[in-house]
Amino acid sequence: MVTKGDMFYTWAADADVLKKGECGGAITALQQYALKSGMVDAVLAVKKGADLYDAVPTVITDPAEIAETAGSLHCGTLLLSKLVKDYLDNNKTAKLGVTVKGCDTMGLIELAKRNAVDMDRLLLLGVNCGGSVSPVLARKMIADKFEVDPDLVHKEEIDKGQFIIEYEGGHKGIKIDDLEDEGYGRRSNCRRCLYKVPRQADLACGNWGVIGDKAGNATFVEVCSDKGANLLDAAAKAGAVATEAANPKGIEIRGKVEGAMLNLGNKWRRKDFEALASDLWGTIARETGRCIKCYSCIENCPVCFPVADELKGNSRMVTSGEVPPNPMFHLRRFAHISDSCINCGQCEELCPMDIPLALFSHAVRTEGDTTFEPKLGKAPYTN
Amino acid sequence: MDLKYVQTTCPYCGTGCSFNLVVKDGKVVGTQPYKRSPVNEGKVCPKGTYAHEFVNSPDRLTKPLIKKDGKFVEATWDEAYDLIAQKFKSYKPDEIACLSSARVSNEENYLLMKLARGVFKTRHIDHCARLCHASTVAGLAASFGSGAMTNSILDIAESKCVFVIGSNTFEQHPLIGRKIVQAKLNGAKVIVFDPRYTPTAKQADLYASFYSGTDVAVLNCLMGEIIRNGWEDKEWVSKRAKGYEELKATVLKDDYLPENVEKISGIAAADLKTAAEWIGTAESSALLYSMGITQHTVGVDNVKSTANLQMLTGNIGRRGGGVNALRGQNNVQGACDMGALPVVFTGYQKVIDEAVHKKFADAWGFPDGICEPKNGYEVTVMFNVLTDNPGELKAMYIMGENPMLSDPDLTHAEHALEQLEFLVVQDIFLTETAQHADVVLPASCYAEKEGTQTSTERRVQMWRKAQDPPGEAKVDWQILSEVGAAMGYADQFPYQSAEEIFNEMASLTPSYHGMNYERLNRPEALHWPCPSEDHPGTPILHIGKCSHPDGMGVMHPIEWKPPAEVPDAEYPYILTTGRCLWHWHTGSMTRRSETLDNEVPTGWIEINTEDAQALGIADKEMVRATSRRGTVDVPAKVTDEIKKGVMFMPFHFKECAANVLTNNALDPIAKIPEFKACAVKVEKITEEA
Repeated sequence: MVTKGDMFYTWAADADVLKKGECGGAITALQQYALKSGMVDAVLAVKKGADLYDAVPTVITDPAEIAETAGSLHCGTLLLSKLVKDYLDNNKTAKLGVTVKGCDTMGLIELAKRNAVDMDRLLLLGVNCGGSVSPVLARKMIADKFEVDPDLVHKEEIDKGQFIIEYEGGHKGIKIDDLEDEGYGRRSNCRRCLYKVPRQADLACGNWGVIGDKAGNATFVEVCSDKGANLLDAAAKAGAVATEAANPKGIEIRGKVEGAMLNLGNKWRRKDFEALASDLWGTIARETGRCIKCYSCIENCPVCFPVADELKGNSRMVTSGEVPPNPMFHLRRFAHISDSCINCGQCEELCPMDIPLALFSHAVRTEGDTTFEPKLGKAPYTN
Repeated sequence: MDLKYVQTTCPYCGTGCSFNLVVKDGKVVGTQPYKRSPVNEGKVCPKGTYAHEFVNSPDRLTKPLIKKDGKFVEATWDEAYDLIAQKFKSYKPDEIACLSSARVSNEENYLLMKLARGVFKTRHIDHCARLCHASTVAGLAASFGSGAMTNSILDIAESKCVFVIGSNTFEQHPLIGRKIVQAKLNGAKVIVFDPRYTPTAKQADLYASFYSGTDVAVLNCLMGEIIRNGWEDKEWVSKRAKGYEELKATVLKDDYLPENVEKISGIAAADLKTAAEWIGTAESSALLYSMGITQHTVGVDNVKSTANLQMLTGNIGRRGGGVNALRGQNNVQGACDMGALPVVFTGYQKVIDEAVHKKFADAWGFPDGICEPKNGYEVTVMFNVLTDNPGELKAMYIMGENPMLSDPDLTHAEHALEQLEFLVVQDIFLTETAQHADVVLPASCYAEKEGTQTSTERRVQMWRKAQDPPGEAKVDWQILSEVGAAMGYADQFPYQSAEEIFNEMASLTPSYHGMNYERLNRPEALHWPCPSEDHPGTPILHIGKCSHPDGMGVMHPIEWKPPAEVPDAEYPYILTTGRCLWHWHTGSMTRRSETLDNEVPTGWIEINTEDAQALGIADKEMVRATSRRGTVDVPAKVTDEIKKGVMFMPFHFKECAANVLTNNALDPIAKIPEFKACAVKVEKITEEA
């Protein structure tokens, strides 16, 4: 009997899934089983689009198509939380399996707090995430720093502190630290992230801590909820996946990897927030002074809840049609999300004027968390 | 439960951003970022964020309409086609004119061009590029041998100095505006000269306001300063340019000394000197312009002057340099490339060139030949002919254009359309122009069809179908094919897909020859010229040599001339016109997009605070603006952000249409109207008895 807190090495039983998936294909096999067995009616996951720099969200109802979503895409910087709210939660009956990173998980938690999604109908398969790289910057990084034509790369991964590419005729790894010092590497919000293992999903899956003969051939699965326990139990009993108890040495190593990532996250926090503190108002004024009011930061924010018509008309302080808008346009948003910004980075990554919006709202949130009691209750995650 | 993403290219400006359309239950319901786009990396402007909102508007045209006794009556497609065929067969080729569209795909522009020249056999085909960048096509072709933006969008971020004149890039090409920001963060100096303190100007290291229509004087002054200080690129000038001595003699005249140009332009001599130094001494300097340069009676002169400056400083064929003529509409570059112009077939192959004419006639295989190898009328000339020589032009086919709001001097435009015996309009809404039609054909928007469009940087990208057109509406290339068939030329229009049309076009067009849908479906797509299937495309033109047969760049000595109409005692202010971030041209799409319409529901006239005080006008007060051509009532926006003596109106709004006031004076070469400068007076509206 699987119970919450258990840790397993897990791999797909099906030879084809084993081959297509990474690290034993456990997530692919579990999503497939959840769909086949009727635990969920559909699965929301990410598949490869034009190439490995192009991550496309997809909703799957046919178990045979789940294999399309096998494997990881570190250049996929999507956030799935708001898609669930905007497009997939509206019939209020279907159950949905979702493959989630930390930011997807936090986004869904915040949405659930506001009754905007129903967690009872979601089955969350969490994946550890050390951060992701914006696709166009990734291509530039591979061309400039790796000196490899990005079109020739057929696999990328982030492992042991390195960004590693495999391409026709070889493979290369460069330390993430070195890349990031030169402005490449992970998105800046990812660098500051302290939520690497999504333990508020139903299962938290990853390759950290898989050692011995299972290294590379199995997924480390931490059971985080009864729902997760049921899925793993049933999938194993049905022969969809095979499991064995995680090696205690592996558990220790996993803890160390996570700890190292958190240290790195804290280092970036210190660096980013201290720099911001040195000229807080000046920086915010200067950066938001080129805003073109495209509303992307609002439309793509998982915790922004605009009063649809009010937001886009005149208010006393924000005149409609004015570009750049009155600073209150940004200030009121920072206030709105002050105790819920999950630092998913979408506002910043999608800003047409490259305003470091996530830096500002993440700083507000973390400072607020150390100072005030959160109004909607303490978050079950730390970011 | 379903969720489908359809990656496509934006239908608004010429930047060529991509996004995903979200499709649920067969209908477009939203947009989502497409981060893999090399152009915009998932980022969009407000129009992009809400580009889905007009698609399923309740007033989309869904059935063909035929006007009977002054009223539109719904008709079947067969009835509409029969009437069109019967009417068009009754006219001589020279009595027919066609307006193609910068809003539709390359394939559809090519097809209307083929319909005009092959089926109607008329030489009169043009489109609204005449109103925006006709002077670019003519001016840059004279300077470099190719009339398009020389460098790429991404390249602007590499520049060490960005000089923006006549472009409000942040509002009109926002994701190119981002490249200015990136250049600035990389240490570039940014110079903006504009009559208005625009959002673009606010990001400048050096901003100066100037009087609309003094561009040549300003550019000559900068060149004079550069030569006097020895900052010119001597190697470029000696090895790659013709006409340097003549140019030098002109720009060194006393007329163009900074102190004298200060008087003409209103830019302080010190600022002119600073700008000249920054441009002249930068490792690379990019010049960005748009309608502020082109929409003048001296539009071609202005364009040639920008080219002169960039050649003088060696910024042609150089990374981070270039004459970056920012094309306005999503596919205005493509519509020109497709030969929807009165003087060229596709790829700027001249209609008067007999070998070219024969090539098209042979390839198309019309049994009774095609139009004669003579240049046709420009759209502005068509409208003048209609009013000045009634009966010469009798019928017109307009696809996706709205001259009843976009043309200068709307009273004149309306009078012109009224002269037509028969007008067909193919559009997605019953626009101001469509209301004048005899037959209206319900067409498709960007979300409803496959096809390609060519952005300002000559990048050819795909549109992808996300939903069916509403009701009985059809995709434009299908309508054009069926009109061709109804006229008796089914064999010349056998297309089953947009791809077949593209392949036919590419086979006849050297600059597109190496392109096909498979190659264009890559996220990077391809920049023309791309002459062969193994050619990688050409992001930067004129590296090593220009496109003239001898490879040289041509410098043109240009003297400054004032606008056709200048302020006087009766009409004491300069009126300039333009767009705002929230709306697109005649507003047929954006004013039906709820969010955009909420943000800016109507037009305005910008008046300098001192001028407003003198006139006794308060902010938001409804005022009356009058030119020699007409009068409009429009709310005042009193602001310090416009130069004293200059007024500005956006042209999107029919209830206060700026083009009632504008002047139909034309550039003698490009036939582009002077939208950017005319004389107006503004008055308080007094209580009427």
